[in-house]
Amino acid sequence: MKNILLSGKNICKSFFQNGNETQVLNSVNADIYEGDFTVIMGASGAGKSTLLYALSGMDSITSGEIFFKGQELSKLPENKMSNYRASEFGFVFQQTHLVSNLTLFENVAVAGYVGSSKNVQTVREKAEKLLAQMHAENAKDRLPSQVSGGEAQRAAIARAMINDPALIFADEPTGALNRANSEEVLNLLTELNGNGQSILMVTHDVRAAIHGNRILYLEDGKILDELNLPLYEKSDIRAREEQVSRWLSELRW
Amino acid sequence: MKANLKRRSGGYFGIFILTLFVSAAIGTVLTVLNNSGNYIENEMRRAGFGELTAWVSGIDNLSELTDSIENLSEVKVVDVQSLVFSNYTIKEQESDSEGQLITYLPSENRYKFFSDDLSSYVNQPTEISSGEIFISPSIVSMFDVKIDDEIVFPIARAGKNFTFTVKGFYEDPFMGSSMIGMKGFLINESDRAEIVSVIQNSGIDALARDGAMLHIFSSEKLNTYKLNSIINENTKLAEYAEFVHSKNAIAGFMLILQNAFSGLLLAFAAVLLFVVAVVLSHNISSTIEADTVDMGILKTIGFTSYKLRKIQLLQYMIWIIPAMIFGTIISVPLSNIVSKATVTSTGILMPTKLPVAQILLSFVLILLLLAGFIILRTGMICRITPMKAIRNESTNLKFYPQKSLSAFGNGIHFRLAFRQLVTGKRRYVGALITAALLVFFASMTGRMSSWLGSDGKGMMDAFNPADHDIGVQVFGKLTDTETENLITDFSEITDTYLLAMPGVAVNGVDYTANVITEPERFHILEGSACNADNEVVLTEFVAANFGVGIGDTVIVTGGKGSGEYVVSGIYSCANDMGDNIGMSREGYLKIGNDDPHIWCKHYFLADTSQKAAITEALENAYGGDVHVHENTWPGLFGIISAMHMLMIVMYVLVIIFIMVVTVMTAAKILSAEQNDLGIYKAIGFRASSLRLTFSIRFGITALVGSFIGIVLSAIFTDPLVSSVMKFAGISNFSSAPTVGNILLPLGIVTVLSTCFAYLAAGKIKNLSLTVLISE
Repeated sequence: MKNILLSGKNICKSFFQNGNETQVLNSVNADIYEGDFTVIMGASGAGKSTLLYALSGMDSITSGEIFFKGQELSKLPENKMSNYRASEFGFVFQQTHLVSNLTLFENVAVAGYVGSSKNVQTVREKAEKLLAQMHAENAKDRLPSQVSGGEAQRAAIARAMINDPALIFADEPTGALNRANSEEVLNLLTELNGNGQSILMVTHDVRAAIHGNRILYLEDGKILDELNLPLYEKSDIRAREEQVSRWLSELRW
Repeated sequence: MKANLKRRSGGYFGIFILTLFVSAAIGTVLTVLNNSGNYIENEMRRAGFGELTAWVSGIDNLSELTDSIENLSEVKVVDVQSLVFSNYTIKEQESDSEGQLITYLPSENRYKFFSDDLSSYVNQPTEISSGEIFISPSIVSMFDVKIDDEIVFPIARAGKNFTFTVKGFYEDPFMGSSMIGMKGFLINESDRAEIVSVIQNSGIDALARDGAMLHIFSSEKLNTYKLNSIINENTKLAEYAEFVHSKNAIAGFMLILQNAFSGLLLAFAAVLLFVVAVVLSHNISSTIEADTVDMGILKTIGFTSYKLRKIQLLQYMIWIIPAMIFGTIISVPLSNIVSKATVTSTGILMPTKLPVAQILLSFVLILLLLAGFIILRTGMICRITPMKAIRNESTNLKFYPQKSLSAFGNGIHFRLAFRQLVTGKRRYVGALITAALLVFFASMTGRMSSWLGSDGKGMMDAFNPADHDIGVQVFGKLTDTETENLITDFSEITDTYLLAMPGVAVNGVDYTANVITEPERFHILEGSACNADNEVVLTEFVAANFGVGIGDTVIVTGGKGSGEYVVSGIYSCANDMGDNIGMSREGYLKIGNDDPHIWCKHYFLADTSQKAAITEALENAYGGDVHVHENTWPGLFGIISAMHMLMIVMYVLVIIFIMVVTVMTAAKILSAEQNDLGIYKAIGFRASSLRLTFSIRFGITALVGSFIGIVLSAIFTDPLVSSVMKFAGISNFSSAPTVGNILLPLGIVTVLSTCFAYLAAGKIKNLSLTVLISE
């Protein structure tokens, strides 16, 4: 029996522009389990990223409830929410979103300092270890604009990991990368998941989705279906791709 | 353009506010400068003052003297106003300079009279009753006098005092300013007759002197020095003249305050205008940076760079022109306030008529300056190409992190602020220059204020030929020994010297001579003191008047004869606007008459805090037989309070400018850094932490700017202020750093910038993390 880490109940999210309401999430219910590599898929505009940011508390919701380890997040004040972001959540974005005037090392270490540990030496050692683990140690003293997209994204994953978060949210982490870099980033995420790290990732790429062990399919603001897979193994790639593609075509993807 | 005006209304409004203040300040200063100069000139003409005015006393046959002057072909007419010279006491405070009891003749219609609250004019009285007196408003600032207060004039020894009750105020265009020590008092004819009778019957016991003002009008356009010289050569005026002043010199005295403070305010307005240009520059570049994509798209549909720059120019002008119009309108009530607030210092109620031509000219010049600046700065639009803009290409960050302080480590908020600052320094240049300029000006004014001192010592030292703590002049049978015994009851006397200030003629022109027993005490600027009996020292102004320098000779004439003297040095003494010379006692006695009563003994005290007590004790003990003056002067209080007012106005403007500039700059930076701020929030930074690092950046910027301002002020204050002070005869301005002129402006500007930045960064709290979503 898996433990529920994050739970969304009847989540609704609407955008208002010029007096018109556009409903993006329509009473979504979703549970994210501890240790899972959960993937949210769906067509463009289905509301995948909106759901991810709603669940992570990065964006407000119109109605509904979100619980993390039993604590309701949607009503938490901004200060308390920032504590969760610093210590319980890690974020990996499509555009890497590293602070432009900090080196890769500083991007990682500053996040570590804000999180649980205020010990400079501890954070420094951990940041260097993570960057080495992400194969970005050679670029650590460069600015994001001075490194490749892959190196930047690997540093972004290291940043997400620095505070040993309970859950990593990844929004299209390979969306802006070439194939080789994408593969490397996905392998890193898979490796982290293999070590017990819970991950919630949004993607529209089947090659990326197959790294997950649970795929939720979102359409018109609702979870239409979900597919459970065994844990990712490199030898199963072709079979997983076929299984996921078949499932998606049944959902008229 | 309409959309831009709405979207960027905050920035435009900031420019509107800044331009409004600059325009209002310039309008007010021009109104004050223009009106005061013209007004004084017109009023002096209306009140019947000629090119030269001589104050005479001790004269037996006045008409003989006036006839001899009038008989000169260079003189058109001599107008006489009778008066009595007398010291006076108000609220037990003895005057430093003599007052002049002038006979009021309503038929002459010479003077204008004020309402009791000094806010307007009233009709001149048909007569002044016996025992009543009308005074200049500047006496209010000097002695805090009110209607119905009493003024006592000691006319002769043995208590023959005349006491008058203040009935009202009159406008004196000749002696009204608190910068002028001598003061006129209007009394009626019968009171004057009674006073003159007491003087005549008291003989050597008389303390007051009967005299007159002779207003001398020239028949041809003649240099006043030349006219003075011709009259002295051909008449006996020099024998009776206590002092002679030209109309221009008196107008200069009357306008010192207005000119000095208007000059300062005008310079401040120029600094503010420069700040507006800096803010404009920053606003233009950040607006263009933010609108690059839109401009690129507009270029793809056919908009030219010229058209886009024209739109930018129009956008700014739509705010700048109304700001200038409103500023000019506001300058009318502001000038009114200034006029009324300074009446007790200037002695006149300045008209507040807008000098339309001058204001229009300044309006056009400022507009051209700002428009030119906008055109220049919008030149960067030409470099935008459609594809460059659409691809959102920006210049790569040229920064070498290895060479900078690490952003990670202890004191992380400061480290992050420092990194943000050094990597985005272009964005803070405006705030830095603004801080530097404002602190420079505030520090410069602070240096002037500390030079002036809380008791006006700086000004007094500038006006005195030599330093001292108190001066004591004894009359009658009283001796120095007696007064010194009393002084030593309060404080040890550390040093003394004697000083007299007789009138002499230099190359035929009347001047005051500062005659001293120890010439090395003079404030020598160049050359050496006049230690030999054939040497004199001149002020820069007298030397310039005669075109002489060190080593040249001048002819000095006194009551006993004339002699040739070598100019041994240039010294500083602003008395009579610098129209004076310095001599040794031995040098003076070769040509001038000696009299024990002309000498004033100057003392240096071991305990200077006893000055007031000593003055009071001497006056109580010896009354009219002693004249004591501390190194101060009641007119200074008006100047000191005007200086304080100027400081307050300046600091208010500094606060407003810092607020507007910080808020505008902060808004632009916040808008440009939304993404980074979103990232910081996403990794767990609290809004309060981000606000702190944001405000630290401004704190560092303001601190660096302030430091530059302080250094600039240390370098430029003395030469700049000296060049302005020369107009008042002060050539030895020298300021020193104090807490008030260094830490105060630096602290105010730095703390305010930090606080305003913190407040402006309140938006961070509401910044949504959706800025990071790229779905």
